Amino acid sequence: MSQVISLADIRRLAADFAQSGIVAAPLPTDSGKVFYQKVAAEEVQNIVLDGSLKCVNSIKEFLFPRHEVLYTFLRKGNDVELTDAPVFDTPQLILGCRPCESASLPILDPVFAWDFNDRFFQSRRAMTTVVSIACQKADSDCFCTDVGGSPENTSGADAILYPLDGDRFEVRLLTEKGKVLFAGKTTESSDVGHACEGPKATLDTAKITRWLNSHFNDPLWSELAHQCVGCGACTSVCPTCHCFDIVDEGSYQKGRRVKNWDYCQSALFTLHASGHNPRPDQGARQRQRITHKFAIYPEKFGAILCTGCGNCSRLCSAALGIKPALEKISSEAAEDLMPVPPLWVRNTQDK
Amino acid sequence: MQNQLQDLARRLLAEKKVDVVIGYGLSGNGRVGAFFATDEGQCDKLVWNEHCTQNLVVYLTRPEVKKLGRAAIVVKGCDARALVVLANEGQLQREEVIAIGMVCAGVVDEGGQRCAKCEICTSRAPANVDEVIGDPASVPAGPASAEERFAGGKYVKLEKLRAMPRAERFAWWKKELSRCVRCSACRQVCPLCYCKVCVADKNRPVRIETSATPSANFAWNILRAFHLAGRCVGCGACTAACPAGIDLDLLNLTLAQTAETEFGAVSGTVPGALPLIGSFSQEDKEDFIQ
Repeated sequence: MSQVISLADIRRLAADFAQSGIVAAPLPTDSGKVFYQKVAAEEVQNIVLDGSLKCVNSIKEFLFPRHEVLYTFLRKGNDVELTDAPVFDTPQLILGCRPCESASLPILDPVFAWDFNDRFFQSRRAMTTVVSIACQKADSDCFCTDVGGSPENTSGADAILYPLDGDRFEVRLLTEKGKVLFAGKTTESSDVGHACEGPKATLDTAKITRWLNSHFNDPLWSELAHQCVGCGACTSVCPTCHCFDIVDEGSYQKGRRVKNWDYCQSALFTLHASGHNPRPDQGARQRQRITHKFAIYPEKFGAILCTGCGNCSRLCSAALGIKPALEKISSEAAEDLMPVPPLWVRNTQDK
Repeated sequence: MQNQLQDLARRLLAEKKVDVVIGYGLSGNGRVGAFFATDEGQCDKLVWNEHCTQNLVVYLTRPEVKKLGRAAIVVKGCDARALVVLANEGQLQREEVIAIGMVCAGVVDEGGQRCAKCEICTSRAPANVDEVIGDPASVPAGPASAEERFAGGKYVKLEKLRAMPRAERFAWWKKELSRCVRCSACRQVCPLCYCKVCVADKNRPVRIETSATPSANFAWNILRAFHLAGRCVGCGACTAACPAGIDLDLLNLTLAQTAETEFGAVSGTVPGALPLIGSFSQEDKEDFIQ
């Protein structure tokens, strides 16, 4: 038996949730593009839940906001009074995100709980329930299957919706949070939903990692450097990019220390106060982005820092993005890497 | 046209007239973006179709691309206007670049929709270029007068915005700009944002906060629009790149419309023209200058 809920009931659920919490869901803007946005109770009719749309942005903004106050300071005579920003304690529902979005959350967890427990990320994560929707369409920018995902990847989700014909959804409850959210809202049915077929996997990520570890000064990086204008739009729509900058704002007397998104594709990202820049050109910045995702992060945290969502490629004016870059690396790696002979062969050769 | 373009590129490289042809190529995922042909053998990868939306002129001032040497660049009529502005502002020696102008019937955005800018385009046959590919007579000339362009029902979004009462328009921009993430993609893709150090990047002292707050978002976007006033050629690169889906073209085109209707200045159409915001005329109607 499956659990089924109607679209009208989902909208009602979202409207109820929005009364005392935050609902984030795909919502069209005036220009017709769809973004994960905060939805007010009266806007729930406009939420797009078809499993085929491609939101331009990522859900990460609701767990790792682009701008967040850490604490405020106030100078009083010779003393400085510091006030911590309040802990996030509002229930939050992310509704109708793609599985490649929810999958980014378990990947990001360790980086915010590694040498320091980032209460800003962690409190949001604890207060958030994620309901994804199984993809009904994949496009040529999708490559979730290359990085271990699928159109119905449940990683990071508390429940997943499968569109059925008519305005109904099958709900698969995955965690306690998901069960609580949908308790008493679903009916039993024999209808079972399906996801679309995933994009055909063509990349060998282990081979790509090996290539990255041995090609720091490859000409490919300057090839990418010519094409990339360093706009960094790819990083802001990426569900796994998580770099930030900490700055003080306000005056000498009164102000705040804030955390803002930062962009590795910008020259300013690594510019030292001395004027020296260890990543002096766009090639070095492209290399950093790809190496971070496919070599550094996997080595440190055991997961590829990419869910194959394709947001970067869909937005890139220069037709770059992670997938086209990986394809270039793959073709280089195929020509370049001689297969390493098994150990016993090498031992024999040595003798 | 694509074959003609490839032949020309091959010839320019073979005759050593240029070191690189900056054109469009096909990416692995089927999208069209910048392609740098540095030898004759690569010229068959140059493409020309309605997906050639990117304005390639931005590459001419990129240090990484300058290192490639003398360049020929593929431009549409709108992009060619940016080239004129760069030369007028002393950012490049026009004779050192070979501009290959493509006769253009209009391009599409990433969603496959015809770009709004193409509806009001008057430069479908590129001007001020060194080579023209395609038959200029094959494309309609486009709306001739500013009235027809800006008030003829062609750029609906712009007209709708301008018709709003001031308070409503302010509220609309407030909502749109609230999505800005302060990534500066708009600046990076703009061929006319060439400052080596942008005012937004200055931090000793900070001129514009880097936070994506309503006040800083307004400060950044309005400042950028002012810096482009009378200069923006309406290529739409900023709108296409914006990860927040903000129609930045509306901000810049509003100023372009004012520049045209009030001063008769259409950016990038007159080689050698003085910048509108950097010059005055004794015929100006305001008397404070006289």
